[in-house]
Amino acid sequence: MTPDQVDMTVDLGGIELRNPVLTASGTFGYGTEFSPFLELESLGGFVAKSLTLEPRTGNPPPRIAEAPSGMLNAISLENVGVEAFIRERLPALSDEVTVIASVFGTEIELYGRVTERLDGVSGVAGIEVNASCPHVKAGGIEFGQDPKALAALVRTVRQSTRLPMLVKLSPNVTSIAEMARVAEAEGADGLCLINAVQALDVDVDTRRPVLANGLGGLSGPAIRPIALRMVWQAASAVDLPICGIGGIASAEDAVKFLLCGATAVQVGTANYLDPGVAGQIVTGIAEYAARHGFARIADLVGALETPQGG
Amino acid sequence: MDPLNGAGRPANHPPPPELSRFLLAQSPAGPRDMATPPLHPPIRADGTVVEVRHEGGSNRRISLLVPGWPGSEPGQFAMLSPGARSAVPRTDPLLPRPMAVFRSQATDDGHLVEFLFKVTGRGTALMAEALTGQVVGVVGPLGRPFPRVPEAGACVLVGGGTGIASLYALAIREAPTAMLLLGAGSRDDLMGVEDFEAVDDLEIRIATEDGSRGEQGLVTQLLERVLDEAQSPPPTVFSCGPTPMMARVAEIAAARGATCWASLENNMACGFGVCLGCAAPIRAGGYALVCNTGPVFEASTVTWEAMP
Repeated sequence: MTPDQVDMTVDLGGIELRNPVLTASGTFGYGTEFSPFLELESLGGFVAKSLTLEPRTGNPPPRIAEAPSGMLNAISLENVGVEAFIRERLPALSDEVTVIASVFGTEIELYGRVTERLDGVSGVAGIEVNASCPHVKAGGIEFGQDPKALAALVRTVRQSTRLPMLVKLSPNVTSIAEMARVAEAEGADGLCLINAVQALDVDVDTRRPVLANGLGGLSGPAIRPIALRMVWQAASAVDLPICGIGGIASAEDAVKFLLCGATAVQVGTANYLDPGVAGQIVTGIAEYAARHGFARIADLVGALETPQGG
Repeated sequence: MDPLNGAGRPANHPPPPELSRFLLAQSPAGPRDMATPPLHPPIRADGTVVEVRHEGGSNRRISLLVPGWPGSEPGQFAMLSPGARSAVPRTDPLLPRPMAVFRSQATDDGHLVEFLFKVTGRGTALMAEALTGQVVGVVGPLGRPFPRVPEAGACVLVGGGTGIASLYALAIREAPTAMLLLGAGSRDDLMGVEDFEAVDDLEIRIATEDGSRGEQGLVTQLLERVLDEAQSPPPTVFSCGPTPMMARVAEIAAARGATCWASLENNMACGFGVCLGCAAPIRAGGYALVCNTGPVFEASTVTWEAMP
């Protein structure tokens, strides 16, 4: 078998993908930024930067810092707003590019309104609910950290769209399996995990956090083993397709997530290091499948030989 | 010819039409006009190390052979992955480093692109240790270039620390109506001086804090004197260096009615407008990305006191 004979298509909760490699929200802009570096059509698709009802300005700098095998960021979901996205950003993309819109708000109603606005818009293949935002009315705890808040959020977004709905889960929880079940019970079509891991680093000379915001999100290869563990636990807990995210920088990394039960993957921080890496990961996965005799990528999903009681 | 009191700009150097359109379309603190394509669309490439040379103190020069390099304009930069690529991808340090393109020239094997840098941490230390023949990831050229000096105008270039490297291509473009002021802590901290000295008709003045080269003092003191002696209209000022230096240059220029452009050097992860990490505070409110709205800003639009 040769790599081009491998059936790369996967179904991610009703979103038909030509291959299992997407790029993660917040690391791929609105797509066109990467046009000089890769064919957007060669990817399974991409998740656009999280959208709010109104345009949003980010945090004061410093917003990013290097961490061991990773990076810390606290951007605060700066974005052009849902109207500008529909009016200016979507039309700039070819019909051949699969676009998933990430939605977010500081209140549940706002998530619902952004999602409603996107429903039926040509060129949007699905919705990803960014549940890692602090819930203002619940005292700042992330929607994704509280089962009740997550249930209410997913229910509201579900009622706001007929599009396939993916829920992006926070890793900052005690039981990812519980959160996965909550999202499943409220009608999610798929799960995406993990978002960045809450983290802190300190400048000892100024005796201040390195980021102006104080806390930030850790991403990159540093969190990959945590992400693999959580994907495996979530996949064991629910029947939903899962999109694995967390430090994927090579085809080998992506295959690990498929083996742990992910139907597809998202490449995030690695897009900064090499803006063409997602395309190389598509090619590399096909080569892996051909080398190991998998005619369909879907056959790799969950093929991990698990230890008893693991 | 005295560059600051000299006659008009050479007639053989009008801006190319595509460049003037590009510069007209840019508002220093506004979003990139999506309809205006960059002059040289960026590429991602494997650069092969030709040599890494000591440039005094902890300064180094890395020369890379970059296949497909499209050329660059003065003030543009590239993202260089830290150290040579190995069989197992390096994850620590993870992020690429933004570095100003010092100069590039076409060769039979591709463009030879030079970068000057100072070893300040693990990423730049790895870069300094790269061996001839090894591969370094390159993404570029990125950012918007220094704008042209108005017709018949003169200019002053003010460089400090590693910011000196950003000014070389500009010095070549704007000589002979340019004067270059360089500042550093000590003689050994000055980078690329011999290259600047080889530029025809470029007047250079140097200040070092310890007086080991040029005048003892700060480059901003040189600038004050040069601007005070310049004829009207005041020359355009370009600066690149540490933030406190650029903030002071902006102040000195503004007090004398001189237009001032500053090339900022914030940390960034991607270099092309996606990570949003390099936000600089802007007087009009909010932030502008150093990578694609800049790195060159009209200095009066930057909220210097809120810079990281």
